[in-house]
Amino acid sequence: MDFSVAALGGAFPQLLPAMGINLAISLVAMVLALIGGTALTILRTLGIMPLNAVIGVVISFIRGTPILVQIFLFYYGLPALGLDLSPIQAGILAIAFNSSIFITEIMRGGLSGMDSGPVEAAIALGIKGKVIWTKVILPQLYIRIMPPLVNELTTIVKGTALLSVITVVEVLRTAQQVANASFRPLETLLAAAIILFAVNFVISQSGRILETRFAARRG
Amino acid sequence: MAFDFNVILDNWALFARGTWLTIIIAVAAVAVGFLISIPIALMALSHRRTLRWIATAYVEWFRNIPFIVVLYLFFYGLPFFNLRLPEAIVGTIALAFFASSYFAEIIRGAILAVPKGQMEAARAIGMSYFQGLWEIVAPQTVRLLVPPSTNTSISMVKETSVLSTITVAELTYQGLVVQGETFAPFEVFLTTAAVYWVVTAIFAHFMHRAEKAFGAAQGAHQARTSLADKYLLIGARRPA
Amino acid sequence: MTKTLLKVSNLAKSFGGATALRDISFDVAAGEVVCIIGPSGCGKSTLLRCINHLTAPDSGFVEVAGSYIGRERKADGKLRMQSHREIDRMRPKMGFVFQQFNLWPHLSVLENIVKGPIKVQKRPRAEAEEQALALLQRFGLRDKAHMFPSSLSGGQKQRVAIARALAMGPELMLFDEPTSALDPEIVKEVLLFLRELADSGMTMVIVTHEIGFARHVADRVVFLDRGYVAEAGPSNDVLSNPTNPRLREFLSQITSDQPAAGKGSSPAAEQPIH
Repeated sequence: MDFSVAALGGAFPQLLPAMGINLAISLVAMVLALIGGTALTILRTLGIMPLNAVIGVVISFIRGTPILVQIFLFYYGLPALGLDLSPIQAGILAIAFNSSIFITEIMRGGLSGMDSGPVEAAIALGIKGKVIWTKVILPQLYIRIMPPLVNELTTIVKGTALLSVITVVEVLRTAQQVANASFRPLETLLAAAIILFAVNFVISQSGRILETRFAARRG
Repeated sequence: MAFDFNVILDNWALFARGTWLTIIIAVAAVAVGFLISIPIALMALSHRRTLRWIATAYVEWFRNIPFIVVLYLFFYGLPFFNLRLPEAIVGTIALAFFASSYFAEIIRGAILAVPKGQMEAARAIGMSYFQGLWEIVAPQTVRLLVPPSTNTSISMVKETSVLSTITVAELTYQGLVVQGETFAPFEVFLTTAAVYWVVTAIFAHFMHRAEKAFGAAQGAHQARTSLADKYLLIGARRPA
Repeated sequence: MTKTLLKVSNLAKSFGGATALRDISFDVAAGEVVCIIGPSGCGKSTLLRCINHLTAPDSGFVEVAGSYIGRERKADGKLRMQSHREIDRMRPKMGFVFQQFNLWPHLSVLENIVKGPIKVQKRPRAEAEEQALALLQRFGLRDKAHMFPSSLSGGQKQRVAIARALAMGPELMLFDEPTSALDPEIVKEVLLFLRELADSGMTMVIVTHEIGFARHVADRVVFLDRGYVAEAGPSNDVLSNPTNPRLREFLSQITSDQPAAGKGSSPAAEQPIH
């Protein structure tokens, strides 16, 4: 067997468009996860014990089980509930749900380090809860948790590759299809790996740059 | 909608077998991965820039790509070196290398956390760099290694599920098999997930006990000796 | 004629942009106690660390009992860098006592002392332990042998650190600011202890900022200023009649800073500098 650099290079034009799918999925999932995670966090601060208990169990479940199994649950399970979703939709939901759990935990961590002073002052001034959240807490919180959020984004991007297993035609599945045609599995997969590496590397490096900028501003 | 336990009970042997393979692969991968990571960590700490760069590239490579891609690279790459191994072995090797990148960072951090003066005292006595590492620094890193290593190990247990994609008969694969025969996705995958949940919880429990044991060991040792000291000095004259 | 145990020649060391040592040369004869003094940040500790090559000097040479360490000048005058192993072998000849002692917390006092002889000198455990216990006995710490460093006081830790270095049978001892990490009350104790060590014949190089300490312990004093040896000579001469203006300034600052009625532990306050 010999390694063909030509096959490696030739794979990129075929794979790059497919990477677009991964990015699109990632963005949608990230937005959904942010919304879901924020909602969960707000719910948890309400102090409704039974609700918090249930959420606690769900968090433990999501963190203690493989994401692939969660994807299968959504992909095979939702149709059984009558929800007819396409693989890509099921995949996005699975990833978004998984990430919203991690994001609410990230937010919990961020909140525990924040000063309660401004919030108490706002309450004393009679400002409504919704406004306190949107104007006082969340802006500060999101800035604080930027680094772990960026990390979560790279996790999401890596998760999209798993969707190849449920027939979503993203970069990894495309690589497999190209490899089947070219009989050059290693070269093609290496190209897919390089693309995924590049994307995540850029994301995490940008995150690091943002982190230093924000740290400087916060002083 | 009722939960059909029969689906699980009828196929419990498959689940059991899958669980067993999952545990074996995870343990082997974590052990080998940890060993592989030691030279990587040392390279990352080296004075020579080339070695540092190689170690950094190694760690960044594995941390920025998904494990499924790492797995496929080994699956299709090992035959290039004329290595045709059973899928379970390939999977374990892939997971070991994947884990090593995480462990390397953990080890590097732990070594850096040991005060510089410790190594300097060792060198001043005449120990070589590696003697100093082994005799003086490494023992002091153990306590620092346990918590992050626990988390990484638990993550690796979960990653074994990806091996199902190359037909390794671990737990997730068995789940897919049962699903294919019974079409009971909730029963199958909730049970599968529950098994992982229990396995990781047990793993975490043992690791926390190890954490306490390591943390307490040095403290207890001191307590023991000072008690012995007090006891031994009862009735004896203190030296001038 | 007493032989030269330590010969420092033209040592220089810079860190990035800052030069710590410019051109340091001095000798130490067998049995001598030399104190290196100077304002903080003048490179005293760097000098000590260069002597046993914990820090590699940029240029210059260090010879201990006639053998080079680190940088070697061959017979033909050319420079040769020694291997790591050669340097490792030279180091135990100079017992180094750190300012923070750097005892190994996971090992007992006894283990701290025998580790070097066993692992580096490959001596049998029984012999190493016997020697260690004798040292502890001499230092009044025999009962602490199986205790751990964290249960010792500062002064005790220092003595263990000294014992650890002595266990390797060094030709000379290097001390980095022996009084800095300790309570002022026991400075006098340390002084007496080191004086005893010196009287037993040990050659010592002590970096210190305590002038009174230097006065009472040193045979010779080396004053370092901005990377150079600004003045050197017998301690009484140098400290009582300094010729170098910077040294005079330094000494007068020290005496004016030190409180007149301390805890009876700073000898300098008792002896005015003319």
